[in-house]
Amino acid sequence: MRAVTRDFQEMLSEQWEYRELLYQMTVRDLLVRYKQTIMGFGWAVFMPLVNTVLFSVIFTRVARLDTDVPYPLFAYTGLLFWNFFASSLRFAVISLSGNANLVTKIYFPREIFPFSAILVCLVDLAVGATILIALMIYYHVRPGPTLLVVPLLLLIQTLFTAGVGLLIAMANLFLRDIKYVFEMVLMIWMFATSVVYPVELVGGKLGTILTMNPMTPILDGYRATILRGELPAFGPLAIAAALAIVTMLVGWLVFHRAEYQFAEYA
Amino acid sequence: MEQPAIVFDRVWKKFNRAQRFNSLRDLVPAMVSGLVRRRRDDELHGKEFWALHDVSFEVRPGEALGIIGPNGAGKSTALKVLTRILRADRGASKVRGRVGALVEIAAGFHPDLTGRENVFMQGAIMGMRRAEILRKFDEIVDFAGVAEFIDTPVKRYSNGMNARLGFAVAAHLDPDVLLIDEVLSVGDLQFQEKCYERMKRFARSGIAIVFVSHNLSAISMLCDRVLVLRQGRVEALAPTHNAITVYATLVQDAKVAELSRHEVIVRMLDAHGARVSEVEAGAPITVRVTATRPPTGKFFHAELRVLHLESGTSVYRSTSRAAGAEPLMLQPGGAMEIVWSLTANLGRGHYGVSCAIVNEHAQWVAVSAPALLTVNERRSEQAVVHLDARCVVRALQPESAMRTCTEDEQSHLTRRALT
Repeated sequence: MRAVTRDFQEMLSEQWEYRELLYQMTVRDLLVRYKQTIMGFGWAVFMPLVNTVLFSVIFTRVARLDTDVPYPLFAYTGLLFWNFFASSLRFAVISLSGNANLVTKIYFPREIFPFSAILVCLVDLAVGATILIALMIYYHVRPGPTLLVVPLLLLIQTLFTAGVGLLIAMANLFLRDIKYVFEMVLMIWMFATSVVYPVELVGGKLGTILTMNPMTPILDGYRATILRGELPAFGPLAIAAALAIVTMLVGWLVFHRAEYQFAEYA
Repeated sequence: MEQPAIVFDRVWKKFNRAQRFNSLRDLVPAMVSGLVRRRRDDELHGKEFWALHDVSFEVRPGEALGIIGPNGAGKSTALKVLTRILRADRGASKVRGRVGALVEIAAGFHPDLTGRENVFMQGAIMGMRRAEILRKFDEIVDFAGVAEFIDTPVKRYSNGMNARLGFAVAAHLDPDVLLIDEVLSVGDLQFQEKCYERMKRFARSGIAIVFVSHNLSAISMLCDRVLVLRQGRVEALAPTHNAITVYATLVQDAKVAELSRHEVIVRMLDAHGARVSEVEAGAPITVRVTATRPPTGKFFHAELRVLHLESGTSVYRSTSRAAGAEPLMLQPGGAMEIVWSLTANLGRGHYGVSCAIVNEHAQWVAVSAPALLTVNERRSEQAVVHLDARCVVRALQPESAMRTCTEDEQSHLTRRALT
């Protein structure tokens, strides 16, 4: 236990020491994307928007789905925050293997790679949120004081994302197949989460299994606090929060302890 | 005595010759063992080998240690253990203070970003604060000589510009310990000179330096002591010149390992017959070689070789036959003596003088260890050979311009030459 405490002290002090690198790395990735693509940050809006239109057609015309808020708003909120999760992990999974030249040549805390991947996507989230505001105005949805809970939800989601991100970035360094496997996992995960439909509708045994997915209470929490002005259901969210914290702590510790091997596998 | 800034204490590091993992069966135990951090798996398994085999050294502040050795000797591995990129399997590596590493200096560059953006990125990678980079920014750009392209994406830079900018960032670190890995092969001669100057300034400023290089002249210019590695083991840890001799022996060894070199002994004598290892350029020297009869062959002659240690190039090779001595027939159990008289018309530097015995089939049958010859010469800036240049400077007219400079002007010139 003493060893674990010492490791966490070391991890935090290293992060603090290299905080400017985390900032620079994030700025670099944002700049690069802005320079390499014509749309730049437009992509942050474009992807969830296209998906929203797509699922709106499916779930309002093909298979009618009753939601307590207008469906496009329901779907966009889900997709926006899911996208933050999914694209963070897509960047994180290749963040170590894709920076092999840095990993093998220069020492700094390797956590910076997956962390900056998440920060970049957090910026995308902020950009995408402007469309959410526009949709809310269009549908005359007025946010209440529960909006103050959103940062807490975001914190829980970010911790969970970071924990998973650290683990898969490391795993992909040791075994390059992880990247492909994870792409598939993400697709299944999306439909196992209340992103474009309430996952309670699944029901049965499968439905019971799906309630363990921490992403559902988080996304439901966003919808409750932003769209309906309600507080999120405490029980499921508390479990999700606990799981997020455990994932982050375990993920980071494992990452840190395996770090010295990275240069040999990159 | 000051505390050492770097302690490399009995370090062992293993590598695997095989593919990383052939199956999940190998991977899972390896990952699990990686998590149990304090228990180390320090035995060799399968195709593993020791890339570093019980290597120890210390470097004190203000001292520069060179690391040389043939390819694959473990030089870069040692450096990576020092920078914490790799972790030792046994032993410990401790570095005190802020570490600057001149290793793969443009590694953090992104081709789509401008020079300016990359300077900040690279600086942060090397552990510089943003404020520090801002303060030194102009200096860095000036040093790299890319001022007019600083807002151009580096993908439009030449390789040289790229490397120069990378080095410039690293050169403006303010470290307590500096680790340098063969980075000076970048840029043109003028830039290389600038790099050496910079490194010398680092060395004088009292920081500890570890310098890995194949360039022996750079090593001997910068380092006080040199560690010679071969196949992960320490061959020597000695003052620079001695270590370079060991290295020269190693290099030659690789070529003629099978030849029994101890049967041939080379001695160098000055004009008075006293043994020397250091001479003035242009001085006469005698190389006296004694050899017992090699096992194969009947008629023998000798071949003299002079190797410039700094560059590793052979500067002279001649046979006793070419110098006018007939091959000698030797009975079993016999011995021979070869005496060469020559003039050390060599540039300043270190040379390895060795002698091989050649039989009638033109086979090398024995070879000596190289003897170290240091040539002193103060009149040239840079020289491969001793041209014994002398010089007179005079004004042609007007008559009044013909005066030598005053003492003040003289010291001003000297100062400028030094900086």
